[in-house]
Amino acid sequence: MIKPIYIHGSGCISIQPTFEAGYFFDALTSYAQNPVPALDPDYKAFIPALQLRRMNKSMRMALFASRLAMQEAGITSIDAVITGSGLGCLRDSERFVEHLRAEEGSSLNPTPFIQSTHNMAAAALALSLGCKGYNMTYVNNANSFESALLDSLIYLAEHPTETVLLGGVDELGERTPQFWDIAGYLKHEGAEIPTPLDDRTPGEIAAEGAIFFIASQQQSYQTLGKVLAVETRLEVDNPPAFIAEFLQRNGVSTDALDAVMLGCNGDARYDGIYRTLGDTLFADLPQVAFKHTLGEYDTVVAAALFLVLGIFQHQHIPQTLLLNEVSSRTLQRILIYTQRRGQNHSVILVEK
Amino acid sequence: MIPTAPIAITGMGAISAIGNHVTENFRSLVASKHGIGPITQLDTYHRGRLLVGEIPIGNAELYDRLHLSPEVACTRSTLLALLAAKEAMEAAAFQPGDGYRTGLISATTVGGMDATEQYYDDYLISEKHQPFIQTHPCGYAAEQMGRYLGISDFVTTISTACSSAANAIMLGARMIRAGLLDRVLVGGTDCLSRFTINGFNSLMIYTDSHCRPFDENRNGLNLGEAAAYLVLEAAEVAKRRGKSPIAYLTGYGNANDAFHQTASSDNGEGAYLAMRKALETARLNPTDIDYVNAHGTATPNNDLAEGNALLRIYGSASALPTFSSTKAFTGHTLAAAGAIEAVFSLLALQHQVVFPNLNFSQPIASLGIIPQTELREKKIAHVLSNSFGFGGNCSTLLFSKDHD
Repeated sequence: MIKPIYIHGSGCISIQPTFEAGYFFDALTSYAQNPVPALDPDYKAFIPALQLRRMNKSMRMALFASRLAMQEAGITSIDAVITGSGLGCLRDSERFVEHLRAEEGSSLNPTPFIQSTHNMAAAALALSLGCKGYNMTYVNNANSFESALLDSLIYLAEHPTETVLLGGVDELGERTPQFWDIAGYLKHEGAEIPTPLDDRTPGEIAAEGAIFFIASQQQSYQTLGKVLAVETRLEVDNPPAFIAEFLQRNGVSTDALDAVMLGCNGDARYDGIYRTLGDTLFADLPQVAFKHTLGEYDTVVAAALFLVLGIFQHQHIPQTLLLNEVSSRTLQRILIYTQRRGQNHSVILVEK
Repeated sequence: MIPTAPIAITGMGAISAIGNHVTENFRSLVASKHGIGPITQLDTYHRGRLLVGEIPIGNAELYDRLHLSPEVACTRSTLLALLAAKEAMEAAAFQPGDGYRTGLISATTVGGMDATEQYYDDYLISEKHQPFIQTHPCGYAAEQMGRYLGISDFVTTISTACSSAANAIMLGARMIRAGLLDRVLVGGTDCLSRFTINGFNSLMIYTDSHCRPFDENRNGLNLGEAAAYLVLEAAEVAKRRGKSPIAYLTGYGNANDAFHQTASSDNGEGAYLAMRKALETARLNPTDIDYVNAHGTATPNNDLAEGNALLRIYGSASALPTFSSTKAFTGHTLAAAGAIEAVFSLLALQHQVVFPNLNFSQPIASLGIIPQTELREKKIAHVLSNSFGFGGNCSTLLFSKDHD
């Protein structure tokens, strides 16, 4: 049977300075563009210059966020690497397509091909950390991180003495956002960070980032919180019922929650799902949003977990993220619920 | 530790260059009839130059066979996957929604890249192919499969290069053992694409002829396309519904070589660890294995590393069990390889035969190991199947006629 897993460290690279010590969403970096690239930390602080030059953005973001998580957890080695990435190393994929379309038949540079594979971030972590253990990459659209989280729960139930490096990473491409725009995914009017959550305009703000965690079955003085359960569903007819059943299966009533994190991203076509929940199931809870400050990408839900751990630590919800006026005495148990474009629903239950 | 409930395999389906279903694949294997030839479907510079393991059916005909409307955007990997998955489900004889929690775990590396590479500029100027934009992410195929097949309790996609399908099969077993699912359709799919053909060619590990796994003079791989799926069930569930299993999945192991982005370490550390772990989960000794279906891509690097890893497990060339690579039949089918070779391993168990390693003539001098080159009838209780990929991802599956 699955048991809760404890998180001992976390690291986050995003379009906010989340990698800076002490930063906790009290001040937001604003943008009026779409897509929005992630802020670059001083990668050289953790990655030797020679290695850094050869790494694409997914690899460097994943490695840096992992090092932050390991530093916070106070560990120097891990036993397994479990990652999620909706689109893998997108820019190198584009680059190799561009090369082969232009010069098929001539001798193509293999580097973008090698670094295009979806498992390259997890591979770079294994290589850089010398981890010969279990290594997995989930590519399940907007539920990629959730699959990695579920696998971590199973893996640690199987290997109760081990420590897992768990995370999600997605990078922006150059041509691909144009395709998304054609497909109608992207926001034009009101394309801002923080994104207005007023249900007025369609579309999402494309962004990128990497969020990594150190997880094990052992509680320690360094523990930031624990994940009790995660569930995903491609399509859900009735989100309130889906969430209520999940809570029931885990023996938790809505009253026992202290707050809920919701995946509102300003896409008027789908944010109504959260509004309905906010007016019914979660009416009496503090409701917290995050995608309006971090943008939208397949593994951004990992940032919600990062934020929940921060809320536990600070015992405070940043005003910039609050959707309603309800306050809570304690902040011990938080539910994360997200979906993207009306599908890939997920729920994650987290406790301090 | 999670209790090791037996995992029954109650259905399988496969489409590859040597057959459109499992029986056709088996007939080709026993007749030593390979499927490697010139490119006829894919529009590429390498047509008439490189040899591939292509499935000689166009996409339009695949749409027809699946009764799909031409309006639906479906890339070749998904079309192949649906055919193999349907065969597996029909063999297992279950209906989704029968009260058992049923999942789908699929593997792919190509995803919708065959559409993206073709319409890369076209998308910007013409509406015609724009419905294919959404097919690009690797996760799209499994979601489309889930909808088509009616499987919705759990759907996910794995991409760990050429070990992807082995990892999908492994996750399925682990989810059943963890009590999260009763039954799961697992496997992988990859169609041929210009992206992968040019990629392996640019790495100079694409042979100019037919691949020669484990041969001293091997000079690279042929790519192939395939899809294969298995139905895994808690043995108890299969028993309750009166379904006798084809065989059991008794062991699995996943490790990372942590050596180089693409190359394997010479001593095959990752491969060695994956095989060790698979034997440990099955609680078997190396000597219990009757046949090894090797990864054997016929690249100089893979076969040397895998051979060394086998020698480390067994101690000497003479102690190795019968082994062969079936890549010379199908080509290297990337994310589908672990699944198509799982089907071949199950056929070996079912029919008590070892399939030949084609195109072999001279053993690798530094290893001295010799694969099985002719079809051989043999008592087989346990088969080990290897799948290794870029990024050091190594996985091993262990299939058994019975469980303990």
